[in-house]
Amino acid sequence: MAKIEFEHRQAGHCESGVTSNLLHHHKFDISEPMAFGIGAGLFFSYLPFLKMQHAPTTSFRVWPGQVFERATKQLGIKTQVHKFRNPKDSMDKLNEVLDQGIPVGLQVGTFHLPFFPPEYRMHYNMHNMVVYGHENGIYFISDTLMDRLVEITYDDLVRVRYAKGVFAPEGRMYYPTYVPKNIDLRPGIIKGIRKTANNMVGVPFPLIGVKGIRYLAKSMRKWEKKLGPEKASYYLGQVLRMEEEVGTAGAGFRFIYGAFLNEAADVLKQEWLRELSFEMGENANKWREFSYKGSRNCKKRGKPEESYDYLADMLLVCADNEQKIFKKLATIKG
Amino acid sequence: MGKTEQTPPEGAPQEEKYYTYNREIFYHFDKEKGYTRANDYQNSSNQVIIKQSWDAADERLQEVRQRVLAGIQSPVAFFMEKRLLEVPMLAAYMEIGAWRVRRHLKPGVFKKLSQPTLKKYADIFGITVEQLTSLDFIKN
Repeated sequence: MAKIEFEHRQAGHCESGVTSNLLHHHKFDISEPMAFGIGAGLFFSYLPFLKMQHAPTTSFRVWPGQVFERATKQLGIKTQVHKFRNPKDSMDKLNEVLDQGIPVGLQVGTFHLPFFPPEYRMHYNMHNMVVYGHENGIYFISDTLMDRLVEITYDDLVRVRYAKGVFAPEGRMYYPTYVPKNIDLRPGIIKGIRKTANNMVGVPFPLIGVKGIRYLAKSMRKWEKKLGPEKASYYLGQVLRMEEEVGTAGAGFRFIYGAFLNEAADVLKQEWLRELSFEMGENANKWREFSYKGSRNCKKRGKPEESYDYLADMLLVCADNEQKIFKKLATIKG
Repeated sequence: MGKTEQTPPEGAPQEEKYYTYNREIFYHFDKEKGYTRANDYQNSSNQVIIKQSWDAADERLQEVRQRVLAGIQSPVAFFMEKRLLEVPMLAAYMEIGAWRVRRHLKPGVFKKLSQPTLKKYADIFGITVEQLTSLDFIKN
């Protein structure tokens, strides 16, 4: 079998998109936002002591792999996840599963992905894509970031599956093995919302959730004085890149999450969720405004156009919005 | 969800886009229209921040180049930066301790490296051993 019939649908977030597309292949329709929400993908953390590309790490989502695993588990879908020490074993297993006609999700590093947009080819190990066939050492790929279907050679695929460093994929591959006929989304939605609400307002640790946003705002005020204008703008740029760059669908996943709440309101028939989904949308627009304004400070050799205090104040508004939204969401009942 | 044109908020910079290799999916929210998805290039303000990180990488590379040519650091430091690697990741690819990679950044230690070690570095960097050891390659 060369190519499995597989519908390529672009998505905002790679892992939620892969989850949605793999399940669509198994005749279960679930949107990208729904997969993201049930998988409790939304998050915030600011880890100043952990440097990535020479700047503190900011994250707007949970660890890789969690969205697929949580979403499928909540919906009673059985899955198989493999990791391999030996690259040859992992490729043999991949071929075996593909030859059974099952498309496979892969975690890969992006630096050596030949079809990837050049501007994103950094050492980022948390990318996800689907393989939907192979022929004569060429693998057929549906990557939700790409506006077209792509291909990769055996050697390149081994390389990206065995990229090293933080969150090294170690050949991780995954696919659904059993999808029940009638799936009730409701329990999964409620559990997913509770989990995310807890992550955002229930963790008593200053760098996580809403507290983390406030901590970032506080640190940001000191950047220019402490680091000088150039490094301050680089640190700011790093926050914005994590918020807006590849695989967030914009504004640090806040749009996707709002779209999820909107769908959840329909499924659960709870109109108050629609109000919160609109509040989340307004909040996402605020984040996007923050990145528009912030990016003015990131032009080469440019003097800061917006003061860091002003930007930090914008973050505090977002933190307040999210505190309000998630405190309400935490009270959700089935 | 229907398709809409992406309209940047007021005051968004409207400069030339540097990166137009691929269109991505973006979500939008508007009180009237609700949630929509659109397929577009990164908007120009996002392109500014992407460019910033490449400019910074380029700047770091020029600094390392000077240090290597001045004999302060070994060529490993240059190619590590050129491939956007950092010590822990390079050590993972080399399958040796990070402290050993850090030692190999010193020109004196680098000169005494065995052929197999040089070959392994060269393979990771995607170059030949000659290119790794000759400074001519770094000058350009």
